[in-house]
Amino acid sequence: MSQQKLSVIGQVCPFPLIEAKEAMNALNSGDELIIDFDCTQATESIPEWTAAEGHTVTNYEQIDDATWTITIRKK
Amino acid sequence: MLQMVITGLICGALLGFVMQRGRFCLTGGFRDMYLTKNNRMFYALLIAIAIQAVGIFALVEAGVITFSAGSFNWLAVIVGSYVFGIGIVLAGGCATGTWYRAGEGLIGSWIALAGYMTMAAIMKTGPLSGIQKSMTEVHTSTNSIPDTFGISAWYFVALLAVVTLFFAVRELLKPKAALPKLKQKRSGLAHLLFEKRWHPFFTAILVGLIAVLAWPLSEATGRKAGLGITTPSANLLQYLVNGDQSFLNWGVFLVLGILLGSFVAAKASREFKFRAPDARTSVTSFAGGIAMGFGASLAGGCSIGNGLVQTAMMTWQGWVALAVMILGTWTASYFVYVRPRSQKTKTAAAVKAAV
Repeated sequence: MSQQKLSVIGQVCPFPLIEAKEAMNALNSGDELIIDFDCTQATESIPEWTAAEGHTVTNYEQIDDATWTITIRKK
Repeated sequence: MLQMVITGLICGALLGFVMQRGRFCLTGGFRDMYLTKNNRMFYALLIAIAIQAVGIFALVEAGVITFSAGSFNWLAVIVGSYVFGIGIVLAGGCATGTWYRAGEGLIGSWIALAGYMTMAAIMKTGPLSGIQKSMTEVHTSTNSIPDTFGISAWYFVALLAVVTLFFAVRELLKPKAALPKLKQKRSGLAHLLFEKRWHPFFTAILVGLIAVLAWPLSEATGRKAGLGITTPSANLLQYLVNGDQSFLNWGVFLVLGILLGSFVAAKASREFKFRAPDARTSVTSFAGGIAMGFGASLAGGCSIGNGLVQTAMMTWQGWVALAVMILGTWTASYFVYVRPRSQKTKTAAAVKAAV
């Protein structure tokens, strides 16, 4: 298992999700992607996409004002 | 005057608060109907329209408010709504979205807002007001759908309610994977208001109720309309540059209230932060704002004025504008999100083949 980091701080929706999808494509099953983002609407769109795709969220929290981190394990 | 300031600010603040907490983004909703085949936000909009429709026709019947549907300037509505639809994708939010995201500290939205207000003022009282006048000469005499068919508006309200209920229930019954939640850090009211995720349909019900509330509050100050964003945004700028108090009406305080409400919501939920876009995004946002101001002025409304309010008034303008606006967002989404990505994939494939 390996972990990759993706920072989309400063990017507005829907780009955080588009970038996340591309980064996930490059990963192997069981690998984790840590995404740091500050687009408020991505707090909805990224978890929704993750759930719909069947990946697992292993960590999801707000780390600062308008800054969140989410870790997704690829199915 | 004082009543206008207070009720306008309160109504706007409620709207800004609810939209910020509920992530009520019509641009994203219209875009995702095409990009991810997700219609949930569109159904949420239908819920808000249906609730407002029941509310305003009940208020009309009770004699509390009056409104006239006017004429249907179909050419201006179609051209304007299409340009508006393109603009909101470039700006990263519709007119209302831009106001409330400005309250979250997004500098990109401030830039879009500046373009939007300026262009709306140029179109309404400035050098481009002639375009609007000449295009609105192309119109049909009646704008009201019930009048066209010669039957009571309640038939259309009932039809809308049934259709909305059908889609909403079907959406709610869909099997769903459990949604990952943020770690809860607060409890009680603070959790419900400033942390918990709001269901889009719940947010839509609140938006619909606020839209109903806007009618009597606005009419009490002599402005016979419901929620509106474009004309008030232009009015605000017109007042700021020439000091003419006749531009100050209930709508001006409504849009200022949106900014205020969204700021309070974002600050209290730790979602306020100044976020600056890069140069490229700034230019796109500004261009989007200009297109929004041009389109909404021509069409006589934005996603709220036409898409939420005129639709609830059961006018041709509202429903035609809504459909064309959605087509505009799909067109822009293709050029902004779909085409660049597929070209990137093609280039990558070509490079691989060459190697």
